[in-house]
Amino acid sequence: MIGRGHPWLSLAPALGVIAVLFGGGLALGLAGSFGMGRGGASLEAWIAVLSEGRVWRSLGLSLWIAFASTALSCVIGLGAALLLRRRFPGQGLARLLFQINLTIPHAVGALGILWLLSQSGFVARLSAGAGLIDGPAGFPALTQDRFAIGIIAHYVWKEVPFIGLILLANMQSLGDDPESAARSLGASPFAAMRLVLLPLLMPALIRAGAIVFAFSFGAWEVPVLLGQSAPTALPVLAWQRFTDPDLAARPEAMALAMLIALVSAVLIRAAFAGRNR
Amino acid sequence: MKRMMTAIGALLLAGTAAAQQGDALLDMGWDEIVETARGGEVNVFMWGGADNINAYVSDYIGGILEEEYDIALNRVPLSDTAEAVNIVLGEVEAGATTGAVDMIWINGENFRTMKQGDLAWCGYVDKLPNAELVNFDNPAIANDFGTPVEGCEVPWSRVQFAFAHDTARTSEPPRSISELLAWVEANPGRFTYPAPPDFTGAAFVRHVFTHVAGGPDALIGPFDQAKFDAVAEETWEILNGIEPHLWREGVTYPTSITQLQQMFANQEVDLFFTYDPAEVGTAVVNGIFPETARSYGLSDGTLANTNYMVIPVNAANKAAAMVTQNLLLSAEAQLEKAQPEVWGAATVIEPDRAPDEVQAGFAALERHPSVVSIEELGQAALPELQADWTSAIEDGWIRNVGN
Repeated sequence: MIGRGHPWLSLAPALGVIAVLFGGGLALGLAGSFGMGRGGASLEAWIAVLSEGRVWRSLGLSLWIAFASTALSCVIGLGAALLLRRRFPGQGLARLLFQINLTIPHAVGALGILWLLSQSGFVARLSAGAGLIDGPAGFPALTQDRFAIGIIAHYVWKEVPFIGLILLANMQSLGDDPESAARSLGASPFAAMRLVLLPLLMPALIRAGAIVFAFSFGAWEVPVLLGQSAPTALPVLAWQRFTDPDLAARPEAMALAMLIALVSAVLIRAAFAGRNR
Repeated sequence: MKRMMTAIGALLLAGTAAAQQGDALLDMGWDEIVETARGGEVNVFMWGGADNINAYVSDYIGGILEEEYDIALNRVPLSDTAEAVNIVLGEVEAGATTGAVDMIWINGENFRTMKQGDLAWCGYVDKLPNAELVNFDNPAIANDFGTPVEGCEVPWSRVQFAFAHDTARTSEPPRSISELLAWVEANPGRFTYPAPPDFTGAAFVRHVFTHVAGGPDALIGPFDQAKFDAVAEETWEILNGIEPHLWREGVTYPTSITQLQQMFANQEVDLFFTYDPAEVGTAVVNGIFPETARSYGLSDGTLANTNYMVIPVNAANKAAAMVTQNLLLSAEAQLEKAQPEVWGAATVIEPDRAPDEVQAGFAALERHPSVVSIEELGQAALPELQADWTSAIEDGWIRNVGN
């Protein structure tokens, strides 16, 4: 039955789930940010949130985390995909190893980073044992640090295989033909890659990058485990407001959550628009 | 098919039972309440960060409930009690009369929120037979962080804040807030505290605040803005002053008490503190802290509070929740909870109102050598500040120190 009726009819179950669960949550969150359900509507929460210096510092930090993680993941993921598409002995094993961490949950990965890179972590202990540093405090701060290195490291570790996987699938469907044609017309291998393959891969790369951006901008569990106490990433700030015992902070939490969704949507829209121009 | 009909019938019955609850229960005798509760379930929402506490509730309490009352206890772990308050708030706002939450482990600001928002079920406490074991005239039990309890929650345990050190590393730890401030300067990088809104970190800041105010007497009673401003200014000055001597030069703070515990275990810092000194013993038993770890109190006193169990106004299983609360208050369950290898939590009942063998049990309690004795701590106990004070101090710290 599926696929035979009108496309809208066939899509109805999926669209229904999205509209009710996702759209409904968004609408309720928006209503909550205007203090509705608590008697009347007001802009108080939005004004409070937007006039607060901490919110802007958190927004800046979240943008930095998302941009840096996306850029690094895209560059490394693209490079890895280009290497992995060639045929070489043990290619299957290499691809498996490359993709293996796709199955690891983010919270587990973040704890791994903590055990590895914190000042009392594995690398720090190894360095202290080898006499490179005097004690835990001598190890550079890579988690709970000002530049969010631990958070970005986690996202890059986790998202490089994701980008690579999407690009590999994309290259498989493109086949070797476009590049071979360019080569037979006299293009060098590098020129064929830069002028033919990369432009063909761009739409897939931007789509995958948008997913990475939206996730690293809006996710809460990694910055809460690896982030410093102030400024916190925007989602952590929203969660703190949501769990504040003071009921008046709830609309502010909703406004922050809406702000995250809004900024993320606008930036991703801009990335697609820039590509299509 | 037949089985399905029975299931639907049972669901319908459960629905009516829930609707009848509440006021109807208040007119019943205790035996009738127990019969109403029999065969049901109770959903207990509580902070789930300590395995021994979880086991006590799920296995010990849950086991007795199952055996004696045929009640199934579902423990729902939380990382922040406010999450459960949020659920109740959302349900009540949406008009749901049979909520998912039957009981919350709670105190302080969250209780004030529930009481203010009319989210707590009140007026049932004297129905519980074991409430007789509790001295509700004791101000430390009748007030939850300065908010009058007024029959809206049932006390469960007493705790008092304590510090901890490793005798092998720090033989002479600071034993008052002023000594601590000097110690921090003399030992750069070896101390820090979790950033509020972390519960324990906020309690540490209140100790400094109380110290600056010259003791708790100046801060007792309702919030006073002028008094707050005067004390706060000096407190932020002190805390900003020690910042360069803290872990990571105070550029960042740990974000949870769990993180501070790991840092103490990893020898990144030399002092630990907790609102539940029994935790230090548990950490030693679990091999997280060394055998030489010791908890201790301060000469100028540490904050003490009582924690409670509250039943939300829209709880679906109020009768089962009452039976559970009565069991939690029983002399035997309170004694079990006080056993160091179980939890080591201080009781809220008056031992001399309990049966003789339980009294003997309390007298024979042995504590873990790493845990400071309740008597020693209790010699200098500071009352908790009212919730308006605590939230003003938290906000002020975030604005003036932790930015």
